[in-house]
Amino acid sequence: MLDKAKSGIWKSRVEKVNAELVTLTYGTIVAQLCADYENDYAQVNQQLEKMGYNIGVRLIEDFLAKTSTARCGNFRDTADMISKIGFKIFLNITPTVTNWTADNKSFSLLFDENPLADFVELPDDGRAQDELWFSNILCGVLRGALEMVQMSIEAHFVSDILRGNDTTEMRVTLLRMIEDELPPDDE
Amino acid sequence: MALGSTPAIACIGIIGQHDNPLHISLFPPHEDEELDMSFLLNSSLDIFDIRLRNKTVDQDLGLLHAVDERLATYGWLTNTGIKFIIAIDMMGRPPTETTPNPQARNLPPVLGLRDSELKPAFKAIQSAYIALLMNPFYTPEVRTPMQVMHATGKSAEITSKKFINEIQRIGKTWYPGITSI
Repeated sequence: MLDKAKSGIWKSRVEKVNAELVTLTYGTIVAQLCADYENDYAQVNQQLEKMGYNIGVRLIEDFLAKTSTARCGNFRDTADMISKIGFKIFLNITPTVTNWTADNKSFSLLFDENPLADFVELPDDGRAQDELWFSNILCGVLRGALEMVQMSIEAHFVSDILRGNDTTEMRVTLLRMIEDELPPDDE
Repeated sequence: MALGSTPAIACIGIIGQHDNPLHISLFPPHEDEELDMSFLLNSSLDIFDIRLRNKTVDQDLGLLHAVDERLATYGWLTNTGIKFIIAIDMMGRPPTETTPNPQARNLPPVLGLRDSELKPAFKAIQSAYIALLMNPFYTPEVRTPMQVMHATGKSAEITSKKFINEIQRIGKTWYPGITSI
């Protein structure tokens, strides 16, 4: 299924946009959020996640239309789909899927490159390095997108090159599958 | 000539639109000559003005002036009015210093420099400056000359570690004839 989607039609009509435009736009948003919340980075992280969520719930529609993929068989398929097709289409990167837990419910995405964070140097105020997750919007995007396909997940960054870590790693955990619920009292 | 006798960069200055210094890096053996170097950079700024008045200038201004047989300054002017100035010490570094590029040691002693030999250094500085500007957390200062004159409080100096390290690297790596930094 993955191969089918990989060779899919989306390849021929990937829309392109200047990378610097995206980087600068996103950078400006984060910098502005930091200014608006007076460098309360916990708040900034939360806002970015929320913005990402709102993007995700819409983006999944576009993703499904472009790739015309079917439902993933298991969470491992989902992870591959996210990395090899989702990130590939929208950011043209392929983060590595790794560090699976034994129950197949939690994995890590390792970002070798991160177009959102090009040029960025976190503010040198002694706190940003420890508190701000610059690319936190991505966590929200995943949460929003997967929620629309009946998966409730939790995503957060555990390390970031911007903070001086060796890698940029996002941890994604499947909380539960959202069962289709019938509306109550629907006779 | 004593010392290394391969010309080396003594000082790199980044000067803002209104001749306000944004960053000055000093290199051995001139680390302690901050005052001398500011003076040197300042006097170079006048030459920018003169050159600008005379003709339409290229970004690369080449040799600005040779102060004495040892020091000379070279200039680069971006279209937005940011000036990069490199001061070259014709006598180079003390030989005890480990040269990062072994090639530089084998070069024959150079007596003169062609303007084009500093181009790679200027290009590298410009790239570093662009990368700095692209950082969303860096706010370039937009002020009128009057505001600069009457400014109180903190100056607009560049504090980015990444940028300063890059400038240090450029200054230490450059040698006459290098093609890219």
